[in-house]
Amino acid sequence: MRGRRFLLLWAAATAGFGAASGTVDLDGKTADPFAVAAKVRVFVFVRTDCPISNRYAPELKRLSDEFAARGAVFSIVYADPSETSRNIRHHMEEYAFPGAAIRDPAHVLVRRAKATITPEAAVFSGSGQLLYHGRIDNRYIEVGKSMPSPTRHDLEDAIAAALDGRPQPEASAPAVGCYLADVE
Amino acid sequence: MKWVLPLTVMTVAAWPGNAEEVTFYKQIAPIIYRSCAPCHRPGEAGPFSLLSYEDVKKHATQIAAVTKRRYMPPWLPEPGHGNFQDEQRLSDGQIRTIELWAQEGAREGNPADAAPAPEFTPGWQLGTPDLVLQAQRPFPLRADGPDEYWNFVLPLKLAGTRWVKAIEIRPGNARAVHHANVLIDRSRSARSEEKTPGAGFPGMDLTIEADTFDPDSHFLFWKPGGIPWEEPDGMAWRADSSTDLVLNLHMQPTGKPEMVQPTVGLYFTDRPGTKLPMLVQLEHDGALDIPAGARNFAVSDDFTVPMDMDVLAVYPHAHYLGHLLEGYATLPDGSREWLIRIPDWDVNWQAVYRYTAPVFLPKGSVVSMRFHYDNSDANPRNPNHPAKRVRGGNQATDEMGHLWLQVLPRGAGDRRMELQAALMLHRLDKYPGDFSAHFNLGALELARGNAADATAHLRAAVEARPEQAVALNTLGAALLTAGNAGDATGMFERALRANPQYTNARYNLANALAERQQWEQAATQFRQVLNESPEDAGAREHMGEVLRLWGNDMAAAGRLEDAAAHYRESLRFREDDAALHSDLGTVLAKQGRFREAVPEFETAVRLDPHLETAKHNLQAARARLEQNGERGAIR
Repeated sequence: MRGRRFLLLWAAATAGFGAASGTVDLDGKTADPFAVAAKVRVFVFVRTDCPISNRYAPELKRLSDEFAARGAVFSIVYADPSETSRNIRHHMEEYAFPGAAIRDPAHVLVRRAKATITPEAAVFSGSGQLLYHGRIDNRYIEVGKSMPSPTRHDLEDAIAAALDGRPQPEASAPAVGCYLADVE
Repeated sequence: MKWVLPLTVMTVAAWPGNAEEVTFYKQIAPIIYRSCAPCHRPGEAGPFSLLSYEDVKKHATQIAAVTKRRYMPPWLPEPGHGNFQDEQRLSDGQIRTIELWAQEGAREGNPADAAPAPEFTPGWQLGTPDLVLQAQRPFPLRADGPDEYWNFVLPLKLAGTRWVKAIEIRPGNARAVHHANVLIDRSRSARSEEKTPGAGFPGMDLTIEADTFDPDSHFLFWKPGGIPWEEPDGMAWRADSSTDLVLNLHMQPTGKPEMVQPTVGLYFTDRPGTKLPMLVQLEHDGALDIPAGARNFAVSDDFTVPMDMDVLAVYPHAHYLGHLLEGYATLPDGSREWLIRIPDWDVNWQAVYRYTAPVFLPKGSVVSMRFHYDNSDANPRNPNHPAKRVRGGNQATDEMGHLWLQVLPRGAGDRRMELQAALMLHRLDKYPGDFSAHFNLGALELARGNAADATAHLRAAVEARPEQAVALNTLGAALLTAGNAGDATGMFERALRANPQYTNARYNLANALAERQQWEQAATQFRQVLNESPEDAGAREHMGEVLRLWGNDMAAAGRLEDAAAHYRESLRFREDDAALHSDLGTVLAKQGRFREAVPEFETAVRLDPHLETAKHNLQAARARLEQNGERGAIR
């Protein structure tokens, strides 16, 4: 436990000291997702092998379609350093995820977004302020226990509030899915 | 809910492995390989593989969390409430070891400590099947949305009867399929649910209708990671050329569009089934009327077993509101024998559970089902948010409560009818006037030869469902057996109005008309039967007989030309009938048509050299031909 904490600090220090963003595109080039102008940035953390983040692909597409015209830019974040770009491309295509894929092998964006789970979403303002992070909706109560359809759309509400410049709704329950800590 | 792993767990001093470092190769791999890898490998249901250190490390926290909750490996029954084969349950110690390992950073350890990685057989687990049936069309599963339940009809198309010792279901897309059930449909009744042939039809459960009492007494079931079941000696089940299998599939969207085209492999044996098991169902769906918000709605059923029997397996079934499911037997001495107890039902992991040793129930034992339902908003699986009133039914938004037992009655002979009668009388207690109880009791009494009792039950069945063709037909058959061909005719006609393509009813109608010597109408109906089913041996034989008897009537009435025509048509169905050739010769000769009569007599004598009438008539006919001076013509 102690060893792990040390590693985390070390990784954070490296990221802060080294690359400006720590994130790369699928060609391995440094890509700062905050460099592109956007009114609102939405990051969704996924894994290629997480059935729960896979199952959210259609919902993310729906949200992206809903908000794209109003200036919300979606990025799908793959934080598993051992995953290949080839697999990621295939995964994006197979599940029809919206937006661009970015890799976050050092978990720099993971920490900035305070994400721990796939799928977990983070909404940033145009100036890079973290407005919301957490679950997409309340469909999953825990792994293996879900509602037939959600009754609360946390991410949708968060993006709408961010676009409208309204304060964020109350913080919701944590996301349910697979652990980002397992792919550090 | 996030899983926070409490640090206090690590201070457990009593934990025997505490001193030892937990590594993947030493302690974790054996657990994973045995309990996780059978599903978590390529091509199987698990959403990711767990076959190596790298695989498992990438899910370490996850594995610790889901095993701690006992969500994985999925195993619903509570220990101590029935002993089942292939129990997929980790010990408390194993769960703690996994947790410790994940907390300590999922150490790899020394590969030299490792047990060999498991080797799995890809594809068919029981070897190449003797017959493979594939769903005629794949089912397109949407990327998103609620679970889907679909039924595929698989015609067996066998050349003759075979005995099946095992089936293996390949889901076609393991990661989208949650479980599958196969039902044996001997009368091809499920096909009528399909909008077009081969299209399949929706529904979480289905009812198979049958013309005869021929119970299918095996659980044919697939769940992820399940080992295909091979029936023990004497327990093979019969598959006929006209049998359909109906594959009921539970699918869950995965996030991308999926095609699901399952296959079923059959393994035959030369050893016919000699034991006669039966499926006993406890249920009270009629009492399932759950108010919105009810947190603990209970449904019960209690059945007194009419004979000594052994319970071989149990299959509890409810939908999304089911919560606590209990099944037990109270033996005549008052003691309780648990059959199963599931404290937190999850339809996704429903399964057939086979006992390690049969559970003996002496005659007079009471089998009890106690199912509890949570129809509140606090039940996340509730298909309705906000909750609303839910009643019994086949769809996912309806509810159900069934406790199925596979039992083997003790004692000599086939005791299934006796058991079925007890079950149906019990059903009648629950549902007075119930169609299926009356129908089944009527059919049973008819099979036992009690036409009067059969008629009473079947009349009650028809009263419950006046348009039900099978019941109308069976009532007709009972009336015909009781000697009431007149009323029987009326019933068969009603059955045919309800279902004009019902060949069995038409066959029975033709027989009833024949019984009443209404030859012309009987022949018309038999002709239609043979149009629909040209190879029907019974219909061919009866048609020939009706035409012969019709010919006899015509001959007796002196209408010799008509008689000859009917005899000739009759011969198409029984060309080797010497007496019929002889009778035809006789009516021809009586009309002076000796030239036609002679070959008929000749054929009759050839087929049966001892047929004296034919020999005599042949000589007489030849003599008459000579007298008429047509000798030259014959040459």
